Amino acid sequence: MLFPSEAELIRSTIIAQIEEIAAQQKKTLAPLTDNLRLLESGLDSLCIAVLVASLDDRLDLDPFGSDGLQHFPVTLGEFIKLYENARH
Amino acid sequence: MPATDHAMRNVVVTGGSRGLGLGIARSLANAGFQVIAVARGAGAFISTAQAEVAEAGKGALHFEPYDLSALDGIGDFVKHVSRKFGPLYGLVNNAAIGSAGLLSNMPNADIEKLIRLNVVSPITLTKYMVRSVMARGGAGGGRIVNISSVVSSTGYSGLSVYSATKSSLLGFTRSLAREVGPLGMTVNAVAPGFVETDMTHDLTPPQRKKIASRSALQRMAEVDDVAHAVAFLFSENAKNITGTVMTVDAGNTA
Repeated sequence: MLFPSEAELIRSTIIAQIEEIAAQQKKTLAPLTDNLRLLESGLDSLCIAVLVASLDDRLDLDPFGSDGLQHFPVTLGEFIKLYENARH
Repeated sequence: MPATDHAMRNVVVTGGSRGLGLGIARSLANAGFQVIAVARGAGAFISTAQAEVAEAGKGALHFEPYDLSALDGIGDFVKHVSRKFGPLYGLVNNAAIGSAGLLSNMPNADIEKLIRLNVVSPITLTKYMVRSVMARGGAGGGRIVNISSVVSSTGYSGLSVYSATKSSLLGFTRSLAREVGPLGMTVNAVAPGFVETDMTHDLTPPQRKKIASRSALQRMAEVDDVAHAVAFLFSENAKNITGTVMTVDAGNTA
């Protein structure tokens, strides 16, 4: 179980990185809600790859690691949950 | 010169302790880059090259030991290098083994070892180097040069598996160039002909003569020729060159 502050840090870091990457790559973002499907967020696959690399650098977390995942998260909420669970 | 100079762009050169890799490392360092030569052991030549680079006073040449066949540790190794020297700008995938032998007689373990060291290791290392560039949002771009070989385009009996590994780097180069181009990164390959290195020391004098006589310039290419080609691909003059292969073989495949 994460302390609320840790979960908040992970969430705020992910949101901040998404906004920063979208600005760098000149992408228009949809409103960032938990139900937002990543494919409809405005980020393309390269942006998602940049996001994962950035989060590894800032949070020292890579849930996609060397063995990868069976299912890539579909929504932003699932993506954030994956990082929260990786901190356990 | 300080141990880490973050003002210089960092370039990792694998197999950089001797032969072609050392020549490339020295050339890039003399072009002003901070080069991190990676190999299992430092060998006998790196310290001399370091002294030459220090005397030239343009770049820097460091050595970091790593066995690239240890795939699981490559991600942590890249993080270690980034923390020690600063963000990575470039990578030269030069390390390779050149085991020769007829395919029909080659032990399966040797085939697997060749493919692991010549293909899987550089691809895995590139993955983490690209992530290092991505982690800073692609700011400043980056350069990758994969060392292929002319045997990827012309046949040479006894080098079928080696040729397969070197051909695979060309496909890797082209597709990765498209993947990371939007980040301002270039990815190219250099295909040397037979040059005088440890890898070609088994060639007999008649074989050398035959190779030279088949070349347009009637000679073999040298390590410095290849090193200068790599340095060019790292220069500002090559900023719009990506996804291609530069052959350096004195016209052997012309």
